[in-house]
Amino acid sequence: MSVFLSSLGFGLISAAVLAIATVGFTMQFAVTNVLNLAYGSVMINSAFVTYYLNYHAHLNAWVAMIGGVFTGAVASYLLNRFVFTPFQRRNLLPITIVIVALGVDLCGTFGLQAIIGGSYFSYKQSLGREIHFWGMYFSTLQLIIMGICVVVLGLIHWLLKYTRLGKAMRATSANPNLARNSGVRTQRVISSTWLISGALCGLAGTVFAMNTGVFDATSAQLYIVLMLAAMFLGGPGSAYGAMIGAVTIGVATELSAGYFNPQYKEVIAFVVLLGMLTFRPYGLFGSEKTN
Amino acid sequence: MNAIAFYLATIIVYGAVDSMACLALNVQFGFAGLSNFGFIIFQAGGAYVAAVLSMGPWQKSNGGFQQYVLGWHLVWPLPWIGAAIFGGLLALPFVFLVGKRLRGDFAAVGLLVSAVLLNQLVNNFVPLFNGAAGISIVPAPFSGTWNPQGLGYQFAYGGVAVVLCVLVYFLLRRMTESPYGRSLRAMRDNDVVADALGKNVRVQRTSMLILGGMIAGLSGAVLVGFINLWAPGAWGYAETIVLFAAIIVGGAGNHKGAVLGALLVPLGFEEVTRFIPPLSNPALVPALEWVAIGLLIIGFLWFRPDGILPERRRILSRWATPSVSVPSSGESDALINLGNLDQMDFRQLLRLEGDASDHGIILASDRLTRAFHGVTVVSEVSIEIQRGRITGLIGPNGAGKSTTLAMLAGTLAPTSGRIFYEGRDITSMPSNERAKSGMIRTFQLASEFKKLTVLENLVSAIPRQSGDSFAGALRGRRYWGREDAENIERASEMLEGFGLTQYADSYAGGLSGGQRRLVEIMRALLAQPTILLLDEPMAGVHPNLAHKIGDQLTRLAASGMTIVMVEHELAIMDAFCDPVIVLAEGRVLAQGTMSELRAKKEVVEAYLVG
Repeated sequence: MSVFLSSLGFGLISAAVLAIATVGFTMQFAVTNVLNLAYGSVMINSAFVTYYLNYHAHLNAWVAMIGGVFTGAVASYLLNRFVFTPFQRRNLLPITIVIVALGVDLCGTFGLQAIIGGSYFSYKQSLGREIHFWGMYFSTLQLIIMGICVVVLGLIHWLLKYTRLGKAMRATSANPNLARNSGVRTQRVISSTWLISGALCGLAGTVFAMNTGVFDATSAQLYIVLMLAAMFLGGPGSAYGAMIGAVTIGVATELSAGYFNPQYKEVIAFVVLLGMLTFRPYGLFGSEKTN
Repeated sequence: MNAIAFYLATIIVYGAVDSMACLALNVQFGFAGLSNFGFIIFQAGGAYVAAVLSMGPWQKSNGGFQQYVLGWHLVWPLPWIGAAIFGGLLALPFVFLVGKRLRGDFAAVGLLVSAVLLNQLVNNFVPLFNGAAGISIVPAPFSGTWNPQGLGYQFAYGGVAVVLCVLVYFLLRRMTESPYGRSLRAMRDNDVVADALGKNVRVQRTSMLILGGMIAGLSGAVLVGFINLWAPGAWGYAETIVLFAAIIVGGAGNHKGAVLGALLVPLGFEEVTRFIPPLSNPALVPALEWVAIGLLIIGFLWFRPDGILPERRRILSRWATPSVSVPSSGESDALINLGNLDQMDFRQLLRLEGDASDHGIILASDRLTRAFHGVTVVSEVSIEIQRGRITGLIGPNGAGKSTTLAMLAGTLAPTSGRIFYEGRDITSMPSNERAKSGMIRTFQLASEFKKLTVLENLVSAIPRQSGDSFAGALRGRRYWGREDAENIERASEMLEGFGLTQYADSYAGGLSGGQRRLVEIMRALLAQPTILLLDEPMAGVHPNLAHKIGDQLTRLAASGMTIVMVEHELAIMDAFCDPVIVLAEGRVLAQGTMSELRAKKEVVEAYLVG
């Protein structure tokens, strides 16, 4: 029982970070049909901007995080505006965009490594008091991260459900041509989506780095696998699916670490991802786009 | 001097290994359109298997300091053969990912993730291949007889590697420059259409995954026999991206391009950076190397997407002509008469020898229904199609005409209901098998194979080509050449009939919209359909030409071909279709000749309201 509860605790914190990341990732896919495999590199670059502001500009880590969020938003916007959109205008196959994204990922990750070197870094930040209830252990830091996650996902829910922009996003995602012909300014919707999802990416990068404790330029390189697993579990392009998928994957990996071998904890995410791709590539709840 | 010679031998081996890998990946990616982002695991698997097959049992050898499975101590070339076989077997678990239903980029992601997973598993699970430390002291072939450190041995090894690479090159070229290779490229350009023309996309992809896996496995074996060690660090998922970069730089769909890319990117990068003096930051050079790979990919895809050596355009019309018996002068004059569609007789060309008097039911649907997201688009449509007639399907926008056609052809699975073809229930028959049994459909949207020439588009559709299989292709031009030349001649005749001879060797993707429709109609006819399902075939075609095509279809129907045509243009229906079925809101509204339908109030209303 205690193994279960403590693993569940770890799982919830993993899920919180993963949910923020995956919701941004899946929104980009929904609106522009881009599997942005460079997402992880934007995350880690944002985390390093936070680090710079925190360590060298002596800002509180939570304040410095704003810089990370800003970096994620701007970098993602520019990436879409100057890389993905021009390539998409050429009517290439989706796979070409994926290859381009992989190229961008290499540039982003190793460009950062070339600048900062191969060593490890951590924020100047206290973990806070350790709090435990119901057999689960959390640091104050982790509770704040989970709080941020709940607030952010609430905001995304509000955005998608109750704002004009959110409705336009959903319309663009369902059928871009129809949305454009119905008067939705899809270019602006796409730009807004990349700014918002980029902000989520920057936030995810920073909280990921905070939660990991120590990190280097390549720390987020394989994080994309967890995000893909979470996204495909809930159905690609669905923000709510991403939230459910992230919680499932986050908890499942930590539970398998608790009960089996921590070395293989990501295996369950791989298995889920491959299983979903094989049997239900449009998610547990989704169905194939019909255009 | 000696050091340079050793260095040269090493470069030769690496160059041959990288070239083999790039040739294999290029066949998958550049020819078959298969984005195998997990390619490196096939090379890695081959390397491991070759290693453990050539090493002795692990307890005894090396003092047992490393763990591994097998340890059969086989003599060369058995470990290399084993590696190739293993590379092919390794493809089998991934067959499900490259099935026809999964989007190409999703399948690619699946393969990429598999590569990451397998690397982690091998890294952590020590008993298999000694975990992260990897296997070392792998015996070089014949190391008991010759000294592997000798210069002669090293050059001989390089020679063997190069010979293997050359063999792979010619094997792959023989395959791709055949009707089978044409089918692979057709699948690459549009898999749904290739499937609808009777190509078994799943089998083609599986074959290429296995073939590429075998070559990759062999390349791994050659590498491990030379460097004598193999560890997970050598085959991270990103190594596949390096190979992709090589192919993009060299030229996808071109074998020489693949070799050039292999020499420029993986080999070039590895060797050039060797000479950069060590810097204070040891991570800098490798990091910049990866940045350069990323920039190469993006830069080439933007500025030179076809690579340094682009895919060669296959000119069929010239070399084909002399190898076919030239018809007597009178006949050839008639053929040269461009665009004389009304004088053409396609019946012989299409080997049509049907019985015109039989108008029995050939195709029928029983309460065919299709829903998308809970919205019913086609509802309980029961229709019967008569042999040897042109049946029209009309109805306002959104009536479900194209959906019905797609279900009949098998492109779309019905939600419920059944379909009978010549009395047989074919509801669950895959579309490529329906095509092989004579049901050929066309598409409303552009469906040409863009990077096949017009003539290649047409020839690719001809059924039962002896060179259109892996085995047939390997038997060489002597086996399929004469038949292919005849097929090209038949396709050229049809092209002349439609007045498009001057475009024979142009890429179909560069034609105008109307011309592309004609290519599609010609291609469908050359597939020798028993029943032809046309989805708005005349859209964008000049009305005069449309009528000539209609006349031809009438003549084909009179010879026993069954045709179903979805069309908006009522004039076409008036002139050529009998009977006509009216669909509205997913249901059959009425059926009869056009004059009968015009007299029916509900039909006129449905059209006017819709």
